[in-house]
Amino acid sequence: MRAGSSQWTLNSLGILLLGAAWIWASAVPAGSQNGRLPAPQAGFQAPDFRLPTPSGETISLADLRGQPVLINLWASWCPPCREEMPAIQRVYQDYQSRGFVVLAVNATSQDSLPSALEFVSELGLTFPILLDTDGQVSALYRLRSLPTSFFVDGKGIIREVVIGGPMSEALLRIRVEQLFELGD
Amino acid sequence: MLPTLQVGPLAVQVPGLVLLIGLWLGLSLAERRAGWYQTAPANLYNLVLVGLIAGVSGARLVYVARYPAAFAASPLSLISLNPGLLDSTGGVAVALLAAMVFRQRKQMPGWPTLDALTHLMAVLAIALEVAHLASGEAFGSPTGLPWGIELWGARRHPSQIYAILAASLILGWLSLPQTQRKAGRPGVTFLAFVCFSAGARLFLEAFRGDSLLLVGGLRAAQLVSWLALALGLIGLARLQRIGEKTVHRVQS
Repeated sequence: MRAGSSQWTLNSLGILLLGAAWIWASAVPAGSQNGRLPAPQAGFQAPDFRLPTPSGETISLADLRGQPVLINLWASWCPPCREEMPAIQRVYQDYQSRGFVVLAVNATSQDSLPSALEFVSELGLTFPILLDTDGQVSALYRLRSLPTSFFVDGKGIIREVVIGGPMSEALLRIRVEQLFELGD
Repeated sequence: MLPTLQVGPLAVQVPGLVLLIGLWLGLSLAERRAGWYQTAPANLYNLVLVGLIAGVSGARLVYVARYPAAFAASPLSLISLNPGLLDSTGGVAVALLAAMVFRQRKQMPGWPTLDALTHLMAVLAIALEVAHLASGEAFGSPTGLPWGIELWGARRHPSQIYAILAASLILGWLSLPQTQRKAGRPGVTFLAFVCFSAGARLFLEAFRGDSLLLVGGLRAAQLVSWLALALGLIGLARLQRIGEKTVHRVQS
C-alpha cells in the first residue's frame, strides 16, 4: 500500500518536473510576437490604407499614428450601423479634443454614394467619412459583416475587433478610455 | 474562419452559436450520465441554469461596478447585448457562488456533482475551441510545418485544431467503460479531467501565437495550467490515500 503511494508521488513529481521544463523551453524570446505584422486582428498592426472623403480630401491611417482611432466599416442600408452611429458621434464629440479620431469607412462598393451622403447628413455626423469605392479596405480588413469596428491604439495596434452591432455607448466610452490609457 | 453567418438580414455570430450548441449538447450528455454518479439529472440541469443566469448577470454587474461613469452617461447600455460589456472573472465568481448555494440547498453531494458536471465541461471545451477556430482567435505561432494554416499574415500552427483534438480525446476518455467504473470513487473523474485538461493546455500553449507573456517570456496560461495540474495530482493522491485507508479499515 505504501509502495503504491510512493510510486504515485514519484510519478506526479516527474510529470510536474517535465511540465516545468516544457514551460521553460517554450518561453517566448522578447519582441518575437505579432506586434509588427499587419492583420485585421487584435494584437496586430492595423493594415494601413489611404481613402478619399466625399469632399476629395485623402486620409491615411498611418498619418494618425500617436492618436487612438476607431475604424468603423458601415453602409447606409445596414440597420445596426444606423443604430450605433449616434453613439459613435456623441463619444467622438466628447473625446475629439483629446485626439480621438473616428474613421467611418463607407463600404461604397456595397452601397450608393447618394444614400451614404444622405445618411451622414441625416445623422449629423462630423467625423471623417471615407469612401471605399473599390472595396479594397473591406477586403484588407476581411469585412464579413456590417458594421465592423476596429479599436486602434496610438502605436497602430488593433486592440479589439467588434463584428456586428450595434455597439453600446458605454462600450465605446470604455474602449476609447482604454486606448488613451495605453498611450502612444 | 467563419466569424459570422449571414442569414438573410441577420448576421449570426458563429462563435456564440457554437458555444450555445456546446452548452446544450454538454448538458444533455451530463444529464444522461448523471446516473453514473448517483446524481439527479433535474438537479444537475437546474444547477447549471442557476449558475448560468447568475454568471451572466454577475458579469454585467461587476463590469458596471468597474466602469460606473460610462454607464451613468448611457444607462441603456446596462441591458446592451454587447458581450464586451461582461467581466468574465466576476461572472465566473458569481456563477460559482450561486451554484454552491443551490447545491447546498438541494443537498447535492460535492464530488459526485463535480464528476457529473465533468461531461458538460468536456463538451464545452471542444465547443470553445471550435468557436476560436470560427473567430480566428487563439491562433498559432508561425511554422514551416506542412500542416500549417495561412492565418493573420503568416503560416501558423493550427493551434485551435490541436486543442479540438486534445479536448475530443479527453471526452473520449470520459466515455470509456473504465471511466464509468471509476465513477464509484467520488472525485476521481473530475480531478483526472482537471489533470488531463491542464496537461493538454500546458503542452499546446507552446504552439500559440497570442499567449499572454510574463517576465522572461514565460506564458501565463502554462503557469496556471501547471498549478492546476499540481493541484489535480495532489487531490488524486489524497483521494487514493483515503480509499486505501477505507479498504484497510474494512479488512481489519
